[in-house]
Amino acid sequence: MVSLLDPVILQSILLIAISGTLICIAVHFIPVGGAPAAMAQATGIGTGTVELAAGSGLVGLITASYMYSSLPDPQSQMLLILASGAMGSMIMIACTMLMGSMVYAFGVGVPFASAQVKNDPITGDRQDLYMSKGTQGQGLPTVCFVSGVIGGMLGGIGGALIYYVLIGLYSQSAIIGTSAAAVAGVFTVGVFYVNSVIPSYGVGGTIEGFHDPKFRRVLPKDAFTSFCVSIMCGIVAVLIAGGM
Amino acid sequence: MVLDLTMSMAILALMGALATIAGCLEDLESDVGSQSNPNSQVQLAPQMGFLHRIYNKAISGEPVSNGLSAVTAGTVTVVLLDAKFYPLMAIVMGAFVGAIVLGIFATTSYAGRVASQTRFKQPLYMDIMRYTTPSIIGHNFIVNFCLVSLAYIQYEILAYPFSIPFLALIWGITAGAIGSSVGDVHYGAEREFQNREFGCGLNTSLSGRIVRKAESGLRNSIDNVWFCAKFGGPATGIALGLVVFLSSWPATIMQPKTPADYWKTIIVGLLIVFLLIIGNRLVEYNARKTYGPYKEEKEAAS
Amino acid sequence: MSEIKEIAPNKLVLFGVLGGLLGIYLTYLFPVLGMKIGGNVGGLLKVIAPTFGALGGICAVVWGADAVRRVSKYGLGTGVPSIGQIAMGMGIVASMFGIAIMAKFPLAGPVVSLVTASIIGLIIGWFAQNVIKMKIPVMVRGMTEIAAAGSLIILGFGVAVAGNFQFETFVKMVFDDGLILAVFWIGAVAILHPFNATLGPDEKQKRTTYLAFSTGAITMTIIGIGAIMTLGLSGAITMMLGIILWVIYYKKFWDEVYKDASSVLGTGLIPKTEA
Repeated sequence: MVSLLDPVILQSILLIAISGTLICIAVHFIPVGGAPAAMAQATGIGTGTVELAAGSGLVGLITASYMYSSLPDPQSQMLLILASGAMGSMIMIACTMLMGSMVYAFGVGVPFASAQVKNDPITGDRQDLYMSKGTQGQGLPTVCFVSGVIGGMLGGIGGALIYYVLIGLYSQSAIIGTSAAAVAGVFTVGVFYVNSVIPSYGVGGTIEGFHDPKFRRVLPKDAFTSFCVSIMCGIVAVLIAGGM
Repeated sequence: MVLDLTMSMAILALMGALATIAGCLEDLESDVGSQSNPNSQVQLAPQMGFLHRIYNKAISGEPVSNGLSAVTAGTVTVVLLDAKFYPLMAIVMGAFVGAIVLGIFATTSYAGRVASQTRFKQPLYMDIMRYTTPSIIGHNFIVNFCLVSLAYIQYEILAYPFSIPFLALIWGITAGAIGSSVGDVHYGAEREFQNREFGCGLNTSLSGRIVRKAESGLRNSIDNVWFCAKFGGPATGIALGLVVFLSSWPATIMQPKTPADYWKTIIVGLLIVFLLIIGNRLVEYNARKTYGPYKEEKEAAS
Repeated sequence: MSEIKEIAPNKLVLFGVLGGLLGIYLTYLFPVLGMKIGGNVGGLLKVIAPTFGALGGICAVVWGADAVRRVSKYGLGTGVPSIGQIAMGMGIVASMFGIAIMAKFPLAGPVVSLVTASIIGLIIGWFAQNVIKMKIPVMVRGMTEIAAAGSLIILGFGVAVAGNFQFETFVKMVFDDGLILAVFWIGAVAILHPFNATLGPDEKQKRTTYLAFSTGAITMTIIGIGAIMTLGLSGAITMMLGIILWVIYYKKFWDEVYKDASSVLGTGLIPKTEA
């Protein structure tokens, strides 16, 4: 029987809760415009919030798990594993956004413009003049791109952190020690999906990134929800290792 | 398995090539059936009085349906490998089963969606069903083959800690996410509204008014894939190829041994991301200069 | 809508919970019975037992699909598929917990899973309604049902692969070879596809439900293929039965399509409209 008050266990639960919250925050950073963006009617990537966050986070999970399995003493290298997850996710989201930008620029023919700010906070370019008639911005201005990369980083760290915590716990378990990677991986995917769907209900399908007024409006309550739900998932995940 | 530098580079190149093909075909498969976000316009069109002859493959989002076919293919492959089938044969058969399953889901979504639009008088065209579904299956077969091969290489040769269905599922989701972010824009913003002016976004008032006439005759989904194969599909392929290639390239080329070496690979990865940000800035600059502002400074101020 | 008689949600809840649990428990009961009876009949009972898990899974799929339908009707802002994903995410966390925590008393496992899933779903639904403020009146109930259905789907199809719900066998047979991902993902598509594929102003519950049976049967077939690897003959039976069920309900779905569609044409030009 695992005691829930054991400091190591408490720390694991807290880490899982933090990583769930990180995933939730990551979703807010990724600039997605949903169906309107796919029609060059809105700023952002033309797909849904959940899947892009999941797609990038799971690539991060693959790189992090590979890093974990190739290091000689993985449990002592937490930062390195988190960094490799972040790197995988960032590369995935950056490549996607760059190629998406190319399609916007050369296939559809739209200048990139954000509808939420007058000037791009990073490059200082005017945005409102470049918005074509009847749209709410289009393409991926630099600020959205950077925001997306930050989102990828947070998502990658979140996914890698759950995996790191769980595989550490499960590999010591008598019953599932040999299958620790499989169980921890599947569990990570499960927690990841729960935490990427919750914020997407909060943002309602579209968000431009950290400069969007919506970001400040919905982030606190989504993050709070994710934190509470992830604590629950954390308790459940920790108890699996111990059994009764 | 421990590989020397040449061999691991060769494996990496093969993985990149497989991912590129998978990404390209994934996007074309979604265009041939009209899936994901651009499908909202195909769905909306009958409501606006624009009846059409375009397939309506609303299985689910693209990542979900691709994950479905990839994980099915991976599962069948694992079963066949367990029964001592030759790997290539197992992957081909697995990919085929996955593609057939996706084809079944495609038929139910086309029939279901059209039957739910009765009040707009949208007919269900059986000829569209008959010759578009095999094309979907064909495209998806290649996607599955490439993704499961990728998973097989990662599992068997590179010794990733996850099983083949797991890796296939993740790459399927990723391929779908990239396909719906990159290639679908070309289909949704350009091909569906080819009659509007080039060089600006789509006016919201045009929503649902999709192009229904082809270069010759009435447009169907096969015409769409013909167009998207020229830019949207390959762009998606390059994106997925880059993801697979760049995410393992630093570790492959530097052959790290100690944690300090691994940190160097991370730094190289961050440099790549930085270069990609600069690349996007160049594209943005180029596009803004070419298509120019739509409003004058004064008009915007007033 | 009102003139069409719909199956009441409560009936489908009962169908899902009872059918699902019954199926899962029969996989446990039949081998025990088979031992008692012995001989050919006993052997047969043992072989066909896992198939009932998959049948229970189909009941849960039908229930889950109806719950998805009720919630998604209000428009989630991010598409139907997300709800299938969260269902399976909650389901897998809860069902793993249920059978792991009850490793010593395996019989209680499925019920504990179901209850845990319901609690997680209830909490997420409550947060969605009151903290995120989604303003969907059926959200709390819908999320609870979806999560519970998700856990039954995972367990039902999981036992069809593993043969029983003992945590140790479950992990060895379902997790190590990655079959859990097939259960996870195909199960998710099975509950989100029926409503997503029939989305539209003239959606009818009957057609959606037939489609849910059909997607459940596809899941059963693929799980059956997977089970051939772990259980041999039982898997083959699951697969064959899955294909038969699929043919029946796919046909029924098409009958409904022929009845409901405005017109079914072999080919032809676009009918003239005002636009």
